[in-house]
Formats: sequence, C-alpha cells, structure tokens
Amino acid sequence: MTTTTTDGVLTAAGVSRPATAPRPTARILRRRAVPYLFILPALVLFAVFKLYPIGSSFLMSLYENVNGTQEFVGAGNYTRALDDPLLWTALKNTAIILVVQVPVMLALAVGIAVALNSTVLRGRAFFRLGFFMPTVTGLVAYGIIFAVLLNTQYGLVNWLLGLVGIGEVPWLTDPLWAKISLGLALTWHYTGYNAVIFLARLQSLPTELYDAAAVDGASAWQSFRHVTLPGLRPALLLTTVLSTIGTLQLFDEPYVLTGGGPDNATLTIGVYLYQNAFKYFDFGYASAVAYILTVLIGILGIVQFRLLGEKS
Amino acid sequence: MNQPPPDDPPRGGLDRRRLLGIGGSLLAAGAGTPLLGACSVTGATKAGRLGDPDRAAITVWSWQGPAAAMKALVPAFQTQHPGIDVTVQDIGNPAIWDKITTAMAAGGQGLADVLHIGVDYLPAYTEKFPDGLADLGPLGANRYRDAFADGMWQSVTRKGKVNALPWEANSAGFYYRADLFEAAGVDGEALATWDDAIDAGKKIKKATGVHLLGIDKPASQPDAANFFQMLLQLQGTFYFDAAGRITLGSPEAVTAMTLIKEMNDAGLVSDLAGGWTALENSIKSGTAAVLPWPTWFGSIIEGLVPKESGKWKVRLPPAVKPGGTTAATVNSTHLAVAGSSMHQAAAWAFVEYILTRPESQEAIYRSKGIAPALLKAYEAPVFHEPSKFFSGQHKGEIFLNALKARSPAVNYSADYARALKTVADAQTQVLLKGADPARALHNAADQLARQTGRELAS
Repeated sequence: MTTTTTDGVLTAAGVSRPATAPRPTARILRRRAVPYLFILPALVLFAVFKLYPIGSSFLMSLYENVNGTQEFVGAGNYTRALDDPLLWTALKNTAIILVVQVPVMLALAVGIAVALNSTVLRGRAFFRLGFFMPTVTGLVAYGIIFAVLLNTQYGLVNWLLGLVGIGEVPWLTDPLWAKISLGLALTWHYTGYNAVIFLARLQSLPTELYDAAAVDGASAWQSFRHVTLPGLRPALLLTTVLSTIGTLQLFDEPYVLTGGGPDNATLTIGVYLYQNAFKYFDFGYASAVAYILTVLIGILGIVQFRLLGEKS
Repeated sequence: MNQPPPDDPPRGGLDRRRLLGIGGSLLAAGAGTPLLGACSVTGATKAGRLGDPDRAAITVWSWQGPAAAMKALVPAFQTQHPGIDVTVQDIGNPAIWDKITTAMAAGGQGLADVLHIGVDYLPAYTEKFPDGLADLGPLGANRYRDAFADGMWQSVTRKGKVNALPWEANSAGFYYRADLFEAAGVDGEALATWDDAIDAGKKIKKATGVHLLGIDKPASQPDAANFFQMLLQLQGTFYFDAAGRITLGSPEAVTAMTLIKEMNDAGLVSDLAGGWTALENSIKSGTAAVLPWPTWFGSIIEGLVPKESGKWKVRLPPAVKPGGTTAATVNSTHLAVAGSSMHQAAAWAFVEYILTRPESQEAIYRSKGIAPALLKAYEAPVFHEPSKFFSGQHKGEIFLNALKARSPAVNYSADYARALKTVADAQTQVLLKGADPARALHNAADQLARQTGRELAS
C-alpha cells in the first residue's frame, strides 16, 4: 500500500519523510555539534584570554627589546636568569616564607578549625565569621592598614608596645623584621580561609571513628593524632598546594607593605617580575621569570601530591 | 511565496550555518589577536592621525597639582579653541607611569592624547617604544627650541625627533628652618659646603634636638635616593655618563654616599620610612631643620605648615667641594602627545597653549608653585616678588639664577629606573647595615652592568 502526503515524498515502505527533514547522517552530525556549539563561546574566551596570553608570553620570553625593536635571543633571558642575583634573592625570600609562614599558618588553621568544630564552644557562628572575615578584606586595603599599623614612628603597634615599656620595633625598616611583618600579615589574612576548608572536612568525618577511639580509651591528643589528622589529609593536601601556589605568586602584600625592601629583604618573584615588566620595560625577561615561576609551581605541586596524596 | 531551503530550521532561530559563521568569526578574532600581541611584542605603536586642529575631544593625563593647574586653564583655552573639548584626568603619581607603560606596551591602545611625563621616564619611553610619542617637530615645536632653560631641549629630543615640550625645570634647593638655625647660632647663608652643613647639623641637634635632614632609609619609595642624586649632580655627575656608561662607582658617587653616611653616623638623619606621608608628617612635626628639595617643594611646605610663615628660608644647596657648583637642574617634566592619538593637531594646540604662553605658566606658578622651563615666563612680576613665608626672600629669583646657571646635562638613559633601584638598595645598605659606601656603590655598579649590559666607566 502506498500513501502520499501533502509535504512529503512516498517511500517504498510507504512511510513518508518530510521534504525539509534532514538526512539521518546530517541529523546525527547536528546532534553531535550542539554541545560543541554550546561550549564554543567559553572555548573562544578561554583561548583569547588564557591560551593566547600564555603563548604570547612564552614568545615574548624569547625576545629582548633593543632600542625599540624586538630581537630574538632564544633562551637568552632564561640563561640570564640563572646569573641574576636579584632573582635568586627573590627565590630565597619566597622559599623562606614558604617554609616558615605556610606551616605555621596551616597549623594555626587546623587548631582553629578543631576549636570551631567543638560542641563545647559557644557562639561558634560568631567565631567562624570572625576568623573568616580577614579573608574577604581587599589585598591592597589590608596591606595599607598593616603598613600604617606597623609604621615604626607613628604606628599603633609600636605605640601600644611603648605603653608596656617595649621600645620601637623596626617592623618594616629592618630586613628581618620586614620578613616577620610580611609573615604576620599573610597569616592574619589567610588562616581563616584555610580553617574553613579544614572545618568543612572535619564536619564530614564520621563520628563513629571518635566513638570507637573513645571506647578504646584514646586520649584527646591520641584521638586528634590518629583520627582527626588522617581525616584531614585531603584538606591538608589541598591547602598546602593552594598555599604553595599563592606564596610563589605573592605580590600584593610585599608590594604595598614594603615595596620589596628594605634592601630586597621582602622581594618576591612576583614583585621582581612586576618590576622588570612595568618599571624597567623588560617584558622579555619578565616573561622568562614568569615561566620559571610556572615550572617551579608545577614541580612543587607534583612533589606535594606525591608526598601528601592518597596512596591507592 | 518563497519557501525556506530544505535544511533551514524555523525562522527566528539560529541556523547551523549562521552559528558556524559566528563561531568562525570569533575564532578568527581569536586568531587575529596574536597579531595585536605581536604589535605589543615589537613595541610598535599604531600610527595616529593629525585630525581636525579645530574640532576634537582630547584627554590629558597628569597627576595631582599639575592636573589641577591644567584644569584651571581649560576654560581660557576653550575661549581660543571653542571646538576642542579638553578633559584633564588626575591619574596620580606614580600610578600614571604604570598606566602609560601598559598602554604603550599594548601598541598605544587606550592612551590619552596628551601625556605628562617626567624626565626620569621619558628616555625609557622613547627608547623602548619609538612610536609611542608623536613627533612634535612637524607640528611646530621646533620654533620653541631656544625658549626653554638650558639643557631642556636635549632632554626632549632624540634622533631629531621632538618627543615632548618642557614644562617645569626644577633646580636643587635648600629649604631650612631659619629659627632653628638661629637658635643654634648658625648662619644658614654662610654654609659653603656640605661639610659645613654637617657641622651646623651637629650644633642644631645639640641646641634643639632636631635632625639636620630626613632620608627614607629603607627606601620604601624610589625617590629615597633623591638627596644622593642631588649630591651627584652638584658634582657634575650622574648614574650614567653621556655615552651611557655606568658611573656609580665614580669618586664623586663615593664622596656623595660618604657624606650621607657621615650624617647618619653622627645621628643627623631622621628616618622617613613610609614615603610621602612620612615626609609630610616630618614637616608638620618639625623633625628636620633642612629640606634639600627642588623648586616646587616650596609650595608644599607653605601648604603643610602655613603657621610657620616667616620661620623658613631658602637658598641653593651648599657645594660638595669648596668652590663647587651650587646650581643643578635636578628634574623636569614635559607634555607629550601620544603617537596613537587621532587628534594630534588639537592635542598639540593644548600643549602649545599651556607651555609656550608666559601667561599660562605664570598662572600655574601662582596656583601650584610649579617652576616653568619657559624662560620668558620669568619676566612676570610674580617671580620677583618677596615671599612672606620665606622671610621676605625673593624665592623666584633664587631659582631663576640657578636655572640660568650652566649645569651639566644629565643622561637619565632608558635604564634609569633600574639604576635608581640599585642606588636606593646601596644607600639602604649604608644607612641600615653600616656598609662601606665605596664597596656598596661598586657592587651596585657591577649589578647594574650585568642587568643592563652597559659598560662601567673607567
């Protein structure tokens, strides 16, 4: 039996296919293309604002501006970096902050998270808010506030210390104290952020583990050491990696607080990179420093994942 | 009635071809962007256009005082050029340098039409971004070649191109608290050398407890080395010689740093850590008897401590060595037209109005105390009036004499910012760690040579 339709053609099987309907292969292609079309804008934006600068920056790192013209120097900027004492100073300063400030901050954050998670503590919401508040403060704003607070002659901190008979502390004007001041500022700003991550993890730990530990007669310390700390392992990995990346990219605080001084005592890789690009117009070298930094972050990230990551 | 083609979806939706077309355009835009990036890599700037000289909207970038001074002159300018609309923006200093640098690195994208640029940045901009600034010569700048203070024309021209027109020319000054000097029995006018000033500083410290001067010892701001730089210029040297070789290890540089160390070791130097705010606080609280700052600083002092009128005096700084020079043009600023500007003729009209008319410069001096580089401006009576604040002295004439005196040309070079940082670090080592001046400066010179590839002067 055959049937005709008003807008179709007659098929052998008597089933009509609309004249406007695509062929099956075209339909499949169209269906497959749809998701790609949806992600296309994001892909294009990513390519323009991320991939292109990354590639362009690498290209730039192979050039040097000589009298206004770009000259290809190949790995010249990278070999120059190896022999640059200021870059080594910046690396050393960054490493000191990484080794001293980050562990102190994370230990503090764990302590605060445990305290905030305790049912004994009253007004927990208030304290949680209090510890998290510094995190939302603008980087430059808090840098300026610390600079004012820690001013040797006119700062509030030295004034308060003076009230209890302690002489002027050269917070920002002595190389060692400047490093300590920078560490204090960073700790104040980021401890609450890490504490919130730890707190979230603590709240997901099964209470049965603590009950079992209690039944086995574990003390509070033993319970913390054998239940809490292993439970925090994924959060510790996350915060350590994030803090490492953040420290290696450190810019705002030393820039606002000390300008990298005195005598480069708080010069970080980020500040040095900025100085080379925007103060000395040495964009090629600054790009090379950026790539060195990227490689360092990558290596440290892998090492940390290996050391702290879950073993399957 | 036209039927839609077989594969078309209903009207109102996006068909595949159109979507692909849009996607293709976006990809093309993405692929085209590297070309813009390549522009920034080469440091090239898009060529601008002269535009209509009588009808345009132009923007000017400057900072605090000068911006206010220019804003005040805009209505008068517009009576002569009613078709040119001028917007003066106070970008702030030092923020303006980052803004100009970024825009120039982006091929001139987003630059204002008129740019206010200091002598410390001008050589770097012109060397690193050869097309970043318009050539003002063809616009008519060359006819003002001899209108400005000595040495100014060299600082704004490079390879025959006029990159800017000089605005202010600041001579080194020595502002001092005459009442404190008097209390210590010291005649400020009689100081012939900086060694005399150190002796006077000891007496003043003993009699009044006030330091001789202040320095930002940890170099929290780049201009912490201003005083050292001034001592160099008073000896006719700088960080680089005329050929661009590094002279940081020169005997003159060591002498200058040694003088600073002597002052510091004698307890005559207060710490101005914290930059400009600390400096202002120091003036308000009177912690230093001397402010070795250039011409424009007089109006700053007047503004900060108006009640101290009559207690202050001003003179040119003592020489470093007996019989040495006391005149030095320590800095200058300029107005330039962006190479990417589409209204270069109108921008030039504004620059010409501000900088080459004595009336404009006189108005700026009256309002902000900014000393003009335009010599004809000094014919105005305001530069020859006694200053009540400075004990009835003829402040304008003191600096005019310095400006007329022959002072050696200074080669800031494209590496000035790097040199300044290196010097500031060396000074910090001397002041905070007691480093030996000669050793600190030689190390600084070596480091600068390695960073810039420049030779050390013998």
